[in-house]
Amino acid sequence: MKIPFSWLKAYVPLTSTPEQIAADLVRLGHEVEGVELPRAGVKGVRVGLILSKRPHPDADKLSLLQLDIGEAEPLAIVCGASNMGEGDKVPVATIGTSLPNGLKIKKGKIRGETSCGMCCSETELGLAEDASGLLILPADAPVGMEVGEFLALEEAVFDLSITPNRGDCMNARGLARDLAADAGLPFTDVVQADVVTSADVVAPVVAVAAGEDCPVYLARRIDGVKVTDSPAWMQAALLMAGMRPVNGIVDVLNYLMLTMGQPMHAFDADCLAGDVSVRTANDGEPFAALDGRNLSLRAGDLVVSDANGVLALAGIMGSLPSGVTDQTVNIMLESAFFRPARISETRRSYAMVSEASMRFERGVDPLMVAVAMNQATAMICDLYGGVAGAVTACGDAAAVNAGVEVHCRISRIESRLGITIPPATDEVLARMGFGISRQDDQLHVVVPPFRHDISIPEDLSEEYARVIGFDAIPAILPPLAATMPVQKSRFIHDAVAGGFLQVVSYAFISADEQRLFVADDGMDIALANPISDAMSVMRRSAWPGLLNVARHNLNRQQPGVALVEQGRTYARSDRGHDENSVLAWLVTGEMEQDEWYGTARSADFFDLKGAVEAWLSVRGLSGRFVADDAIQGLQAGQSAKILVGRSEVGRIGRVDADIAARFDIDAPVFVAEMALDLLPAAKPAKFAPLPEFPGVERDLVFLFERGCSSDAILDAVRSAAGKLLTEARIFDLYDGKGVPDGKVSLGIRFVLQDGSRTLTQEDSDAASTAIIAAMQKRFDAPLR
Amino acid sequence: MMSEIDALKVQLESLQSEALAAFAAAENPAALQQLRVHYLGKKGALTEVLKGVGRLPPEARPVIGQYVNDTKAVLAGALERGEAELAVRAKAIRIQAERIDITLPGRKAAAGGLHPVQQGLDEMTEIFSQMGFAIAEGPEIEDEFHNFDALNIPPEHPARAMHDTFFIKDMLNEAGTEPMLLRTHTSPVQIRAMKRFLSESGEPPLAVVAPGRVYRCDYDVTHSPMFHQVEVFKVDRNVSMAHLKGVLRHFLSAYFEKDVGIRLRPHYFPFTEPSAEVDISCVFCASKGCRICKGSGWIEVLGSGMIHPNVLRAVGIDSSEFSGFAFGLGVERLVMLKQGIPDLRLFFENDVRFLRKMGGTR
Repeated sequence: MKIPFSWLKAYVPLTSTPEQIAADLVRLGHEVEGVELPRAGVKGVRVGLILSKRPHPDADKLSLLQLDIGEAEPLAIVCGASNMGEGDKVPVATIGTSLPNGLKIKKGKIRGETSCGMCCSETELGLAEDASGLLILPADAPVGMEVGEFLALEEAVFDLSITPNRGDCMNARGLARDLAADAGLPFTDVVQADVVTSADVVAPVVAVAAGEDCPVYLARRIDGVKVTDSPAWMQAALLMAGMRPVNGIVDVLNYLMLTMGQPMHAFDADCLAGDVSVRTANDGEPFAALDGRNLSLRAGDLVVSDANGVLALAGIMGSLPSGVTDQTVNIMLESAFFRPARISETRRSYAMVSEASMRFERGVDPLMVAVAMNQATAMICDLYGGVAGAVTACGDAAAVNAGVEVHCRISRIESRLGITIPPATDEVLARMGFGISRQDDQLHVVVPPFRHDISIPEDLSEEYARVIGFDAIPAILPPLAATMPVQKSRFIHDAVAGGFLQVVSYAFISADEQRLFVADDGMDIALANPISDAMSVMRRSAWPGLLNVARHNLNRQQPGVALVEQGRTYARSDRGHDENSVLAWLVTGEMEQDEWYGTARSADFFDLKGAVEAWLSVRGLSGRFVADDAIQGLQAGQSAKILVGRSEVGRIGRVDADIAARFDIDAPVFVAEMALDLLPAAKPAKFAPLPEFPGVERDLVFLFERGCSSDAILDAVRSAAGKLLTEARIFDLYDGKGVPDGKVSLGIRFVLQDGSRTLTQEDSDAASTAIIAAMQKRFDAPLR
Repeated sequence: MMSEIDALKVQLESLQSEALAAFAAAENPAALQQLRVHYLGKKGALTEVLKGVGRLPPEARPVIGQYVNDTKAVLAGALERGEAELAVRAKAIRIQAERIDITLPGRKAAAGGLHPVQQGLDEMTEIFSQMGFAIAEGPEIEDEFHNFDALNIPPEHPARAMHDTFFIKDMLNEAGTEPMLLRTHTSPVQIRAMKRFLSESGEPPLAVVAPGRVYRCDYDVTHSPMFHQVEVFKVDRNVSMAHLKGVLRHFLSAYFEKDVGIRLRPHYFPFTEPSAEVDISCVFCASKGCRICKGSGWIEVLGSGMIHPNVLRAVGIDSSEFSGFAFGLGVERLVMLKQGIPDLRLFFENDVRFLRKMGGTR
């Protein structure tokens, strides 16, 4: 909401600078998003009289002007506009001027001709968003005068963001009252306008059937108006406040809403049929709203209607047919108080918002309903002619939100704020409209009817706090008991220590991406109002997100990526829904690049398997990788379940090449996912004495059938070698020259060790013999 | 007789100078070893001279013997020095041959790193944890009660419109009356944590920090539909706004690792009363006024206030006996300020060049 400085000054004689006023507003709780300085913004722009105009010798579209700006010598200016002529008066930005659009005026040459300034359009002066041609000033504009002064530009315009609890400050009057009370300056309220009424104009017949939602409703006819544009000063004022002029009647109502706070509505009285009724809508009742939408209303919506149907969604929007146009002759003015909660609910249900509804849903000043009605009547009759009739008034404004009282102990407020409250602050609150009395520690406050936000002692504490100033509150550390230090989750830290970069991707993905790795079992959780299809379904796997990140980076010349993400996956369940913590990895492309010490190497399954194994081992766990060809989205023969103990805790494998291609990735992509909630707790390592006697290491090389599982081979080695075995591993794998087709040569290295003695040749021979026999028997694998 | 002694002496002297010259000329330990054999070996030159001693009269022998021993000692010493010198020279040659270009880059260790948001979350929760706040978490798919109603935001409240809420399709709350939603802030954890705490401990004090992901249906240059918040609150007897300010100042100074000034401005949140927006003195220009703080010297960082009695009431805490403060801070916002990150979108683009630059492996 934009409020020009002059509007505030109409209520209170403010003498501070705009910056100071902005600071005061902020301190009082009214957020100032910006302060425009229209007059200062065009300082240096003066009224100039065009003495002569001739074409530029070197450019068709440029003119050479000689201008009188009240100096001894005329100014020569090269100008690109075409709408001006000799004798016109135009704004001239002189050398050194900085315009609102940031342009700094310097002396220059344009195609060889000297230019000592610039003639301005409305856009360049910051007065309009677009303009064609120069702003031609009235003939009576004094030559040489500052244009800002001549146009009576506002000294300042405050751009405010009023919080929803302060409906009373969504206008100049309310803000001025706060400022006056705070500064101890007199507040000059609006005086009730004198309205001459005629008995010839009938008073509308109004029946309010929904008195709870509409406690006050005033209506009056004004007949014989001639609707023209509103006067220039009002249009300028509305534009300054950020509102577009519509027509004479609507502009008056908008102007009064911005200054006095009361939204009003004008109906074309000739479009009304029969009596006016304020009632709740019938289910399905049609309504053609001013914004062009045709709504089907629901029972409970508050409407203003006549014999033919709905004229307005009360307090929110009028109907298209009953609106005031240039052809309107007779109008019916409405000024009312609608119950905020009703307006808010209806407005939300139709996703409608209007300047009026914003004020009604926050609560207007019930005592302004009649004042504003008279003010509007007086202005309309004054500006557009017309004769006003008597007001039909329903309800008692004085009873609305009246008599709200708050009693509490001052010490309670003081303890909440952590300061003592000086009695002088009571006077500030009194100037803001509160009735305050104190007796010892007892505080008794009568809340003014325009403050719909105050009903309990805590509300008062805020009023005291903002009047005293939050700066006055000291900063004190509260006593805090020591808590159990919470074990920080090491999941992600351990994963990045393994050389992976942590990414954070959105929890919602596209339905198509969801289907890549999860079957459509009806357990997806979709958003009702997604931002886009690409972000419409809560992910059940982190892999699509990682693939998107991989694509982004491979597209940016990264030779490879190693990524990890910790987050949640979401699915429907018997309980409603589950949110599961997962850790997910992805590797693709080059794990190592060409270096002076080695050549490039692409990621494979075992890079990722190693990372997962290392990650498990940090938590004292070891995983079993069980081949599984049926994991959706992964390539058969390169995918596995990960088991810890007996429970499946994760999956790993190569992403199906067609899926990878969807993400524009040609290289093999490997992914893994670990369900953190299913993982057993990390085991602290248990001490075991270090061996005192040396171990014996032996290597055996066998020829196996291709397809034998090395897990099975090593298991067989372990059981054959006996209890002295401390380690057995594959140290070599070869299927090249010299190895028959369909066979593979595996080198097995094993270590025997005994805690009580040094082992002998016999010990290792015995183990070797047992292993050789076992390999022969189990796998038909001869020693090579 | 004298002449024979003299002759031997001359012979010894010339032998010695010849040997020393040969030693000095030796280029490697093997050559030196050969010279040792040649001069000092069993059949060496010196032994040959000694043979001549037998021809001398007995009284002259010790004199010559002394000469021979002296010469032997000189030569042995020279050999030793020569060997040491040669060893030094050989080592120097080896070192020269083994020179490497130490400016070649080191072997690359796989460089992982935490996402800057994660680093921020870790740092923030750690500070609060050290101050005595217990860590709590809550669901991201929430019901309207926890996200709004219990926080004193009834359905018709205008503040609901300030939260651009994502609703879940075809999923209702337990009562089957309202759609579920993605939480718009971490404040529902206040309600859940207080309820859980009260059922365990009976009554306050409690002090909680709740980090997590939140969602708003808003997507442009300065808004992300998913972001992170940290909710902090404390309920006890006599908790005041001064305590709120104290905790804020301590936290913000600890996080920014400098003494930051804070400014509270009155604001409106339904779940706090009084409510305050919190500004910090600009960390970029030391409050002189710059582009980041738009010349004001202050930067808005979070919303805070004293917990509204209706919120305490919603979980069964007597607001006449207990009071509390609460605040919620935007993690991305603070990380951007601390690390000078200009654009929110960088966090979710996950460009590895950005992540590597910002990534810390703590």
